[in-house]
Amino acid sequence: MKFSEELLKEICEYLGSNLQEPPCQIIREYMRVCPNCEIYIDKIKRTIEIYHVADQCEPLPEDLNKKIFACLKLDDLSPDCQ
Amino acid sequence: MEENQQLEELEIVRRAQKGDRQALSQLVTRYSSRIYHLGLRLTGSRQDAEDIVQDTFLIMVKKIGQFQGKSSFYTWLYRIAMNVGLRRLKAKPQQYEHISIDGPNFDKLSTEAMREWPKFDYSIVNDRNFRQKLDQLIAELPPIYRTVFILRDLHELSTEDTSKILQISPSNTKIRLMRARNFLKERLEQLIEAGILV
Repeated sequence: MKFSEELLKEICEYLGSNLQEPPCQIIREYMRVCPNCEIYIDKIKRTIEIYHVADQCEPLPEDLNKKIFACLKLDDLSPDCQ
Repeated sequence: MEENQQLEELEIVRRAQKGDRQALSQLVTRYSSRIYHLGLRLTGSRQDAEDIVQDTFLIMVKKIGQFQGKSSFYTWLYRIAMNVGLRRLKAKPQQYEHISIDGPNFDKLSTEAMREWPKFDYSIVNDRNFRQKLDQLIAELPPIYRTVFILRDLHELSTEDTSKILQISPSNTKIRLMRARNFLKERLEQLIEAGILV
């Protein structure tokens, strides 16, 4: 099945939007006959997810806030001082 | 951000504008982690990320009087952080050769059979070496795409806020996001095929 210009525009719009939102009607209809599209969307979702999880696993430097508070001359308000 | 949270934050900002040090410290505590992660994904360097956080808050303190509340505070602060980060990025020699970034190949989608990905073991992201591989992939993205991916998909900002921060149109934001996602998906696929991510 070939992509019409209108469908292509809709899919591009969708792929740059919130993927959790239900896709617009025209895409939903198309997805029923395009198993690759579903696989493709799943891969994109998992790509985002793995970066998301990785970001959450990245520890903050222990003394980050302490350094910022010192730099802004707010040392006395640093959580480390309380 | 919920409306009542925004109002509460605006109140903190108003106090900070009047020189309330406690309010300034609240803003630092609230945003330091987010700015650090933004800097880290943008530059791929922990040291640069720390410097970006520091410079961002120095500018915030200096300019907070100019914040008029026309946009939300976090949009204003993210714009400062992004500008600081991009300046730092420009000053550094590029570590990777940038390649052309395209959207998905729709013809291929409609004609060729596509294999599903196996289930991931997400605990692999606890491995620092694996996270470094992810950093390398994202570093290959030219900054105009990287910034959109970071704001939209990692920091979960809206298309509208992302457009305001980067000063580009919403449709441009969407196109860049689509291309960034597609690029990272293809690179990740290579890791899967190499057996690194299963």
